[in-house]
Amino acid sequence: MKRHSSHHIKAEMTDPTFIEEIKKMPGGEKILDCIQCGVCAGSCHARFAMDYSPMQILKMAHLGLKQDVLSSSTIWICASCYTCASRCPRGLNIPAIMSGFKNMAMKNNVPAPIALKPKFHKAFTEIVGKYGRMHEPELQIKLLNKTSPSELLHNASLGLRMFRKGKLKLQPSRLSPATHFSEIYNKAMNKGENK
Amino acid sequence: MKEPKIGVYICHCGGNISDTVDVAKVRENVSKLKGVEIARTYEYMCSKPGQDMIQRDIKEHGLNRVVVASCSPRMHLDTFRGAVKGAGVDFRGAEKKGALNPYLLEMANIREQCSWVHDNKESATEKATALVRGAVERVKFNEPLEPKTMPVNRDVAVIGGGIAGILASIELADKGYKVYLVERNPSIGGHMAQLSKTFPTLDCSACILTPKMVYVSQHPNIEIIDMAEPIAVNGSPGNYEVTVRIRPRYVDKEKCISCGECAKVCPVKKFSNHEEGLTQEKCIYLPFKQAVPNSYVIDKDLCLWFNKGVCRVCEKFCKGKAIIFDQKEETRQLNVGAIISCTGYQQLDPSLSKEIFDGWNVFSQYGFGLHPDVVTNLQFERLMLQGLHRPSNGKPPKKVAFVLCVGSRMDRGIQYCCKIGCMNAIKHTLLLLKAFPPAEPWVFYTDIRAHGKGYEEFYSKARDHNVKFIRGRVAEVVPNGDNLILRAEDTVLSKQIEETFDLVVLSPALLPNVGTGELSKMMGVDLGPDGFFLERHHKLRPVDTKMEGMYLAGCALGPKDIRETTIETMATASKVATFLGRGEISVSPEKAYIIQEKCNACGECIKHCPTKAIESTSKGVIINSISCTGCGICVPKCPTDAIDLKQSTDAQLMAQIHGTSMEDGDKPRILAFLEKTTAYGSADLAGQTRVLYSPNVRIIPVPSTGRVGLKHVLHSFASGADGVILIEGDDSPFREDNLREHVNSMKKELSKFGVESLRVASTTTTLPQYDKVVNLFQTFNDRISKMGRISPEKRQKIAEALAGGK
Repeated sequence: MKRHSSHHIKAEMTDPTFIEEIKKMPGGEKILDCIQCGVCAGSCHARFAMDYSPMQILKMAHLGLKQDVLSSSTIWICASCYTCASRCPRGLNIPAIMSGFKNMAMKNNVPAPIALKPKFHKAFTEIVGKYGRMHEPELQIKLLNKTSPSELLHNASLGLRMFRKGKLKLQPSRLSPATHFSEIYNKAMNKGENK
Repeated sequence: MKEPKIGVYICHCGGNISDTVDVAKVRENVSKLKGVEIARTYEYMCSKPGQDMIQRDIKEHGLNRVVVASCSPRMHLDTFRGAVKGAGVDFRGAEKKGALNPYLLEMANIREQCSWVHDNKESATEKATALVRGAVERVKFNEPLEPKTMPVNRDVAVIGGGIAGILASIELADKGYKVYLVERNPSIGGHMAQLSKTFPTLDCSACILTPKMVYVSQHPNIEIIDMAEPIAVNGSPGNYEVTVRIRPRYVDKEKCISCGECAKVCPVKKFSNHEEGLTQEKCIYLPFKQAVPNSYVIDKDLCLWFNKGVCRVCEKFCKGKAIIFDQKEETRQLNVGAIISCTGYQQLDPSLSKEIFDGWNVFSQYGFGLHPDVVTNLQFERLMLQGLHRPSNGKPPKKVAFVLCVGSRMDRGIQYCCKIGCMNAIKHTLLLLKAFPPAEPWVFYTDIRAHGKGYEEFYSKARDHNVKFIRGRVAEVVPNGDNLILRAEDTVLSKQIEETFDLVVLSPALLPNVGTGELSKMMGVDLGPDGFFLERHHKLRPVDTKMEGMYLAGCALGPKDIRETTIETMATASKVATFLGRGEISVSPEKAYIIQEKCNACGECIKHCPTKAIESTSKGVIINSISCTGCGICVPKCPTDAIDLKQSTDAQLMAQIHGTSMEDGDKPRILAFLEKTTAYGSADLAGQTRVLYSPNVRIIPVPSTGRVGLKHVLHSFASGADGVILIEGDDSPFREDNLREHVNSMKKELSKFGVESLRVASTTTTLPQYDKVVNLFQTFNDRISKMGRISPEKRQKIAEALAGGK
């Protein structure tokens, strides 16, 4: 899928089924309630790094500009801090909508403008699925060939500091089986797949 | 009862009816019925020759009952009632002999609900016969009725002394009506007394308001009852009793000359309500300089004498000996013909916002309470009047942010627009620039709503003055030392803004005033989903309530500006003058009445009456025939059958049910009881649009579906019906949940007779939703056709049970 370079929004760029798809995502039910007030955009701490503001993403979704939404960096940069959701006057769960877009982009094989992001998300879920907890060294190894040398250097020094403070363990810690975490995880994964 | 001599008149309606219904066959069928003296058909029954025909027959054949089978009674009931009433009157109106009481006429709707909705001539004729037969059976039990008249009290109670209450009082007092203006606060004037200037003309608010306040206080027809609130409303339209509780002022209004000596010596300070808490005043205070009545008042909650039993210094220094510490609370009864509620609004306040937004204080997001320089727009009005300054340091503010939509237009809590915030902020920017030209006003808006006369021009004026309008709802206001940092998105440029301001002015949402809910309960009128009073009709009766003689004006109905309030107030005053000006009110005779011998005063009916028309008195339970709207909800609720409804009596209803469903044949038949205004009108609309449905459905109008009790439904099944539908109008006092409960309880009883609950259906509808009505008719007919007819044995069993008085 290619991003549109046209300066005009044309009917053929829009996908009328997109909004129905969004309404079916968890958190997406109320998307048409948006009044475009801009509280989400004004509140967003990661706004500076995004190509579109969250408000614009919602507007584009209304219009059915599916390709533009799914190929935007906004959906990947959203840190899910929920500041926008707590302030939205219409009660929209914007981070949930962003997560839905991430899933949709991966399912539709839309390349993310930040190539690392989808891989990070995949690696993250895999590790959490395996142990029930995060294991940072393994995450770094999984992403080794995708990280630039300077970033690697930076991460290494960060890792060292975390290790000294006892925040980083070389052996992964696991959740006890009694928590039934893997069952919950598998159920959630299946549900996600079926959607 | 005299032996009925019924004349039946069947209209062709110029083919509208006769093309689909064999009117000659109908005439033939019904002329055989017992009691029918004469049956005729005619091209146009409603025309003069048609009406003459009825009048002639009444005279010549001595008819004492008439049935007209034609179009909907919504169309021509009054025409034919006039015709039977006019029978025997010659052109000079002298000869009265032979005239029939108009209530001895019944109509069968064989056009909108028969010929226009069916296409099979045979079954349409069969149904038309059934409808006419129902009307014939019913008319046998009709009784002559006369509309009542009642004298009305010409006095008016106006609740609330803001601008709406003041103008309503003046308007009515000038017309010669006596007005009681009931105000909760020590002075009339309301919120308008707090304003500096008004948009879009920039008139000085006090200059246009205070002369009106003085006029009210001097008007011989107006009595101001201040510091008073209604605690009970009783009576009926034209004769209400309003009980008000008057709180003590502890100062004699007549003796106080407002010299202010008392306040000088009073040792207790409190925050001023009039100044929105920005400044302090003494515990004995004048609400504001131009207050009416212009008298001091003591705040009992803070006064040392009332709390600690010491002081009374003010008493010693009062020159006029006006202070009365032992003044007591009083109650007073006002007898009035009409009531106007002008209770106004309150601004969303920080403590309230927690309740409304599930524990979240919207104000804290905007730094209100965290920094003294975050103020509400009402506080800004006072800052302007005090001489513009920042509350924190007293210096004039240079950069001022106006934050719109604070708490308004939310998904939960307050969904509506405050309607004044935009224009008010624009006014403030211009006033700010005038008071302090180097100032830099910024307006953060969601949408600028400049909808009134001269408002768009006003907005343009502000833009001409280089006011910065930023389209974006403010994300947060954070105190930063002396100043405030405001963050928002400029949604037009799609850039975040982070700016430092000296003063931030919030436009909070407007809510119904404190006590609106209690007053609505006292008055017996409804509130809308927004908590404001609900008008009778959004377009055509915008200042009426569902209760006759009770009216509304101003922000009690919803947020609005002063101009709109004035317009509404004039409308209200005109409605009240029309209502009271007739001197008496005519009351339809179609009302419920108690059969005292059967009544055991259990009070069940009182609980269900939507208009509080039933009272338990020493003489037994009494229905006030003025307040009663004739809905008939109380009738089936009576466990001893001690209530009946005139012109929709049990006898009439039972006879019509029997007549409409009794014929032989193996086709299923469905009786649909439709509320006679909205739901019945909706079925008429289906006819006007020629939507076809099954002729098995036969409609009987009822005042409300609450009138239809178990007995009627059982009687329907015993008489030959195979299904029963109840449809209520959505504006009825018998609401959807009442209807559901009513039907569910009937279904339970029906199952005891082996009648499946699927044989009863119900819904509510608005007038234009005729497709909903027709859909129900069709799906229900399919269902009943599949289920088949009820066996004669079962019908026999039900009939026996009914006869046995169960």
